[in-house]
Amino acid sequence: MIVIAGQPNAGKTSLFNALTGSNRNVGNYPGVTVERREGKYRFEGKRYDVVDLPGTYSLSSFSPEERVAQKELLDHTADVVVVVVDSTALTRSLVLLAQVIHLGANTVLALNMSDEAHAAGQFLDLDLMEELLGCPVVETEAHKRVGAQKLKSVIARAAEQPGEPRPPVLGERLSKALMSIESMLANTSVKHEQRSWVACKLLLSDREFTPLVESQGEGGFEAVAQAAVLRKQIEEQTGEDISVFVAERYHGFAHGLVTETIQQRPRDDARVLSDAVDRVLVHRVLGLPFFLAVMYAIFWVTFTVGEYPMGWIENGFAFLADLVSANWPDSTAPELRSLVLDGVIAGVGGVVVFLPNIVLLFFGLALLEDTGYMARAAFLMDRLMHRFGLHGKSFLPMLTGFGCTVPGIMATRTLENERDRLVTMLVLPLMSCGARLPIWMLLVPAFFAPSMRAPMLGAIYLFGVILALSLALLLRKTVLSGEEAPFVMELPPYRVPTLRAMLIKMMERSWLYVRKAGTVILGISILMWFVTSYPKADARDIDQQIAADQVTHQEGRDSIAATLNLKESFAGRLGVAIEPVFKPLGFDWKLVTGMIGSFAAKEVFVAQMGIVHSLGESGGRSESLREDLARNYSSLAGASLILFLLIATPCMATVAVTRRESGKWKWAALQFFGLTVLAYIISLVVYQGGLLLGFG
Amino acid sequence: MAKKNRDQEIKLSASLEDYLETILQLTRAKPVARIKDIARARDVKAGSVSAAMKRLESLGLIRYERNEYIELTVEGARRAQKVLSRHLVLTSFFEEILDMPADEAEEEACAMEHHLSDAAMDKFVRFFEFLRTCPGAPSNFLELFHGCRRLDGEAECGFHCSDPACIDDEWQKNRTTINALEHGQEGTIMHVGTAPAIRQRLLDMGILPGVKVNMERRAPGGDPVWIRIEGYQLSLRREEAEGVAVEV
Ligand SMILES: Nc1nc2c(ncn2[C@@H]2O[C@H](COP(=O)(O)OP(=O)(O)O)[C@@H](O)[C@H]2O)c(=O)[nH]1
Ligand SMILES: [Mg+2]
Repeated sequence: MIVIAGQPNAGKTSLFNALTGSNRNVGNYPGVTVERREGKYRFEGKRYDVVDLPGTYSLSSFSPEERVAQKELLDHTADVVVVVVDSTALTRSLVLLAQVIHLGANTVLALNMSDEAHAAGQFLDLDLMEELLGCPVVETEAHKRVGAQKLKSVIARAAEQPGEPRPPVLGERLSKALMSIESMLANTSVKHEQRSWVACKLLLSDREFTPLVESQGEGGFEAVAQAAVLRKQIEEQTGEDISVFVAERYHGFAHGLVTETIQQRPRDDARVLSDAVDRVLVHRVLGLPFFLAVMYAIFWVTFTVGEYPMGWIENGFAFLADLVSANWPDSTAPELRSLVLDGVIAGVGGVVVFLPNIVLLFFGLALLEDTGYMARAAFLMDRLMHRFGLHGKSFLPMLTGFGCTVPGIMATRTLENERDRLVTMLVLPLMSCGARLPIWMLLVPAFFAPSMRAPMLGAIYLFGVILALSLALLLRKTVLSGEEAPFVMELPPYRVPTLRAMLIKMMERSWLYVRKAGTVILGISILMWFVTSYPKADARDIDQQIAADQVTHQEGRDSIAATLNLKESFAGRLGVAIEPVFKPLGFDWKLVTGMIGSFAAKEVFVAQMGIVHSLGESGGRSESLREDLARNYSSLAGASLILFLLIATPCMATVAVTRRESGKWKWAALQFFGLTVLAYIISLVVYQGGLLLGFG
Repeated sequence: MAKKNRDQEIKLSASLEDYLETILQLTRAKPVARIKDIARARDVKAGSVSAAMKRLESLGLIRYERNEYIELTVEGARRAQKVLSRHLVLTSFFEEILDMPADEAEEEACAMEHHLSDAAMDKFVRFFEFLRTCPGAPSNFLELFHGCRRLDGEAECGFHCSDPACIDDEWQKNRTTINALEHGQEGTIMHVGTAPAIRQRLLDMGILPGVKVNMERRAPGGDPVWIRIEGYQLSLRREEAEGVAVEV
């Protein structure tokens, strides 16, 4: 197995793609690979499995992604470790290389971003570097797949005949200390080639290694004790903290390596252009307005341009439904027909409709990431986010949450601090996601005058954001109080994104959404179809109602039948049963039933409204449903409803992914119930307050 | 927020301060401290230790891991460091200047360290430093010391000591933090003094003693700051930047 390791943004994923030919997400934003990814390629008839690790600045176990990477490297399952370094930040990057070698891995060095380094006028003596390191060195330009072939053959050779990387030269004092601890590790089960590394960790009083070694009996205890003594000695002699001392030694090694092998130093003005752009875009005064303008532009494109393909998709599904109902007579297998039409086509169609919005939003985000602007945005936003107990990096997941909460929650992995991550995750459902857009599209025009619609839509989004921030602050002060993570972030130079990389990223994330439509939503649609279709109403009751209303035409009869059937169904019964609870909010059983459906997926609410209002599931966006709603509920009830749907009950997929990412049901439950209770209170206050003030 | 706490710091009882100090000393030798280690070090019962630990945790000064391992928070480490450095200064004062036996010096220091106000302690440290670093001072040095006022952190002592240690004062003048660098100003990192968890990250990012930093810009409101080191660019929060001493 081949493992690709490197610092964030060094080009690991690009290199992974270059090797495997697969299309992974790359981004000019530190921390885009959040999961360990695997792939494979063939070279000279042999198969190689490749793992793309999340970026790590060092092997000191800091953020969860760094922990994933460190574990992989320490387990020594890799045949070859390819360390990818950013050639334009050589010294810093080579520190990781030194650590990987120190760890005893069979290492290959890939000097990536060689195009940028050469353009800046930096040239290295590669042969000398190979000799000094004792491991192969290859220059690559990963995003253009330059150097991939060479790298493959080097990897093949290294896999067959492991090289003997020279242990990094760490200075006399440290080496002596390490050797003395190592000698005590001889009586433990720590592997020979790892001893020096473990000794170093003991010296640093590492929280994972110390207990591990101590559990190895006498020899382990001695080693730990010896490490403590030496640490004290070194700290006294050098007047520096041990962590600083060790870091300096690694840094010194990397620095020495660069000094010896550099043939031509880079010019100072290498980043001139990028810096000039920053002077404008991250300007102290102009920076924020520009940022807001960029956000506005992205949302504008997402929603206005998205309208057109949405229309096509809607028509497509309508066409499909017509086709099925035309060719499938009512009388043959009516149950199955209903399942296909009302369950599958309506359910999945309702989700796929948003694909254009999602795709466009993701494209916008990809553009921000790949150019490098996203890191600047985090820089600009950190002060504000920090005020609310969040982190500048919380901003990216929250922004993604506007598209879909699920990838947003997954993106919280880029946050280093557990608490920051949890807070961001828990409040994320308040960012009005793409699936809620059709609800707003239905409800806002139904309850508000044309001139009020755009401001109302804006207000909904804004209210969600404000609530999310306030809640974050509240959580930070109560359940999740504690230290904050540092905000030490790299700001990569602006890069011209490759269209290919952006498309890949957009497709990958959109695919996640479609997959949700195809799996979770399909399953839930069928389930919801069942609970909303069964048991059926008594035929006699239906006839009675039709007679009472003196309806003669077929359409009217059908819709009365549908409404009664829904009322009689499990969902309807539940809706009726809990109606009293929601009465003070201005909701009746029809809305409550719709909301039960919206737990499955937010957008299901729209389809449910169509059914309960006897318009059939295809009536989702139709004018008649809006009119029906406007007739039946006051604007005040509408506002209360909108608020409730914005805040309450994140969808099932969100609950599931929160559980997965936080590792505990506790947090998913807190999110689910906390938000629902909050929604209830806010809607109650708004509705009852509104009534008191004489609205509605 | 951290600022505010610092100004209106809650007063800790002497025994709580002692506990903090003990935890700090224990966690230097080992990554975490345990109740029984603390009990042993302070020679008290485990029961009273856990009561004190609960109190310290409620004050946000320590973290209790798995209800057994104890770890200082940033604030806790700061407080502990403060007590410990007082302790060290006082001990060496009694020992070196007043020429007392080591064990007595310890005892006196223990008793005194909790009761001095910050202001008194500052004065004390200054006096002590003066005595220690100015062996070549004239015989009327006590008078000179009393006449020595500090204006904006600079000494105005009326005489110039030729001892190299005193010339360090010049050096002190050029010493500031990354946060205090002005737009476009360059400095050399002297010391990375932030809390351990943050320090490791800073070190990983190449913020090490001897490395040159340039202040590039600040975000609106002055926080975070944007710096350049060795050809790449980083952003740090103000608090983090304040923890890194530089020489300009
Ligand atoms: N100029 C240049 N850009 C590169 C090179 N390799 C990767 N990139 C870009 O650098 C950014 C980060 O790459 P990525 O593969 O996501 O880095 P990772 O975080 O290490 O996985 C992306 O914008 C890539 O297009 C290279 O060799 N030269
Ligand atoms: Mg990556």
